[in-house]
Amino acid sequence: MRNILLIAKREYLEQIHGRAFIFSTVLVPLLIVALVAWSIMTGRKADAGKHIAVASDSALLANAIRYQLLEDKDAKYTVDVAAPASEVDRDALRKKLQSESIDGILELNTSSADAITATYTSLSSGGFDNLNGLKNALNRAVAGERLVARGINQTDADVALKPVSVETLQLTKDGKTGKTKGTSPFYKAVMMLLLLSMPIMLYGLDMARSIIEEKTSRIFEVMLAIARPDDLLAGKLAGVGAVGLTQIAIWMIAAMLFMASALAATVLTGNFSIHFSLMEGLLFPVYFVLGFALFSAIFSGLAATCETSQDLQKFMPVAIIPLYLGMGMLPVMIKDPNSIWSIAASICPLTSPYTMLPLMGLETVPAWQVATSIGLLILSIWAVLWISSRIYRVGILMYGKRATLPELLRWLRYS
Amino acid sequence: MAIVELAGVTKAYESKVAVSCLSLSIEAGQIFGLLGPNGAGKTSSIRMMMGITIPDSGKISLFDRSFDRKSLERVGYLPEERGLYKKMKVIDQLVFFGCLHGLQAGEAHERAGDWAERMEIADALQKKTEELSKGMQQKIQFIATLLHGPELIVMDEPFSGLDPVNAVLVEKTLLALKEQGKAIVFSTHRMEQVEKLCDSICLINNGEAVLSGNLRQIKSRYERNHVIVEFEGNPDFLKSAEIAEAKNFSGHAEIKLKPHGDAQKLLHEAAAAATIYRFELVEPSLEEIFIETVGGKANA
Repeated sequence: MRNILLIAKREYLEQIHGRAFIFSTVLVPLLIVALVAWSIMTGRKADAGKHIAVASDSALLANAIRYQLLEDKDAKYTVDVAAPASEVDRDALRKKLQSESIDGILELNTSSADAITATYTSLSSGGFDNLNGLKNALNRAVAGERLVARGINQTDADVALKPVSVETLQLTKDGKTGKTKGTSPFYKAVMMLLLLSMPIMLYGLDMARSIIEEKTSRIFEVMLAIARPDDLLAGKLAGVGAVGLTQIAIWMIAAMLFMASALAATVLTGNFSIHFSLMEGLLFPVYFVLGFALFSAIFSGLAATCETSQDLQKFMPVAIIPLYLGMGMLPVMIKDPNSIWSIAASICPLTSPYTMLPLMGLETVPAWQVATSIGLLILSIWAVLWISSRIYRVGILMYGKRATLPELLRWLRYS
Repeated sequence: MAIVELAGVTKAYESKVAVSCLSLSIEAGQIFGLLGPNGAGKTSSIRMMMGITIPDSGKISLFDRSFDRKSLERVGYLPEERGLYKKMKVIDQLVFFGCLHGLQAGEAHERAGDWAERMEIADALQKKTEELSKGMQQKIQFIATLLHGPELIVMDEPFSGLDPVNAVLVEKTLLALKEQGKAIVFSTHRMEQVEKLCDSICLINNGEAVLSGNLRQIKSRYERNHVIVEFEGNPDFLKSAEIAEAKNFSGHAEIKLKPHGDAQKLLHEAAAAATIYRFELVEPSLEEIFIETVGGKANA
């Protein structure tokens, strides 16, 4: 046990003082924040701030549409009205659109009061993002005009047409009802997946590279005369795992300090707020440790069969495919967190370190599902360690060529 | 008490037999040389002594007990190729290895300082290993092997990478350790060091011990049919009918006599042709015994 701790300590101190640790501790969260911020900013811009011109024969209707569009405070439209609009006016608007002075033109044909038609012209297909807002504004304006035309006074018409806002609620499994959080769960799921997958991948591969380096520099020869191969592997896993946990702890403390700061209140406004529950906070390091242990155990065995880092490249799909599967499952989980696919992804040991916590952000996951997922992960780690440690014991002393599959099977028998 | 004992040890890899039925015994206060051509099985034998690999058959005992890993705390091992952490500071590295061998960090630190002074590398303690020359790294590996005061010291090619000055320093250190009663095993190709240092040897070829025992006794088994002559003048006497083989190095000749060759007759012939400063009848050198025993059987 003393040797395991000494090896873990050496591994920990070497990595924690390395440039890679400092860079990844700072860069990974910055990258995630930049991605989420970019996604939010571009999302907001698609909906907001459009400059629209309404061209109609009826000034009354055009102004009613303008009024309705300006009522949508979130959309922040700028609306010009050309009414009654001659052909010259319409041509002038098209030129403005071509020169990108405006984002779109809503043209109304009111020749028949019962069959008003409308066209919306913009420069790109992306310009139709706000079509729902336009449609609603147009329909309310036309309906209001028709009601007034049928003798209902304007105030009553406005009351009749006042939109009803729908609040979305979420009923949890334990019977509690809470507000849904708009797009926040999506961003939270993406953040969870990235925050878990990047360290698991980085440190798993780091462990593999470290094994290859020690094999090529023949340190194992000295170490094996002092410590058992299993102690070497356990020490390395503990040391590198502790580095990962340190990094996650730094991120969590930094996130908590940020959330408590005045800056967070300025940045995280409106519907966008990400809240992590205590259970998520507790399970985050658990899934990191288990995920890291599983992938590192796989990579330790594989690395012991390699001569160089280039040899390791061919095993990259082993790391990447589960990650891609986890990412691929994200839309499925967002759409239907209770589907059989979502449950399977959260239980399967290869994907559960990446998917369980994002799923918990979308849905109240039953305790049995979490327990099964953790149990299967522990079982898988045990099985993989059993195989990897046997390959590791022999592989680290085999020099000169990369091991073939029949050789690996023989190594399993040797030890 | 035998510090190390190998009894009928055999190890094979795939179809190649690396060590075949090897038996040897090493006592305390003895320097033991493990000799053999490249690929003879020296490193395989050492690895089995250290428990790095397990023999297919036969028995290995350390300190008069069947091999167990606990015994390795009393052993210092220097592998053939340097095994040091390149990015680590020398002092941290030495303390780490000392602690792995059971020392407390403070004690390991103190001993590392003492050894660094003794091996003349105190200036390198705060440097990273990768900043040092091969010879310096070899000395650090040497200190790491000895830091915990092992009773058995196993060294695979300890002189590789050392210049003559440092080689002498290592030789003196090994002799001092022998005086302290340590058992020392080392493998080498450098026969002059074996002759100077070793009490006993085992010559391995193709995994088998072809010659083993006390070095003096081994050498005494061979006739004194070698002559060293230092001379000035006509070297024609080197063509004498008494000589089987002669090497002339500008006034220094190493001569092997024919079986029943007459050394006195050769001395007269030499004195007649040249001025003789030295004429010495000697045993064959270990190198000659090595070449004669292994002959053309070496793999490399």
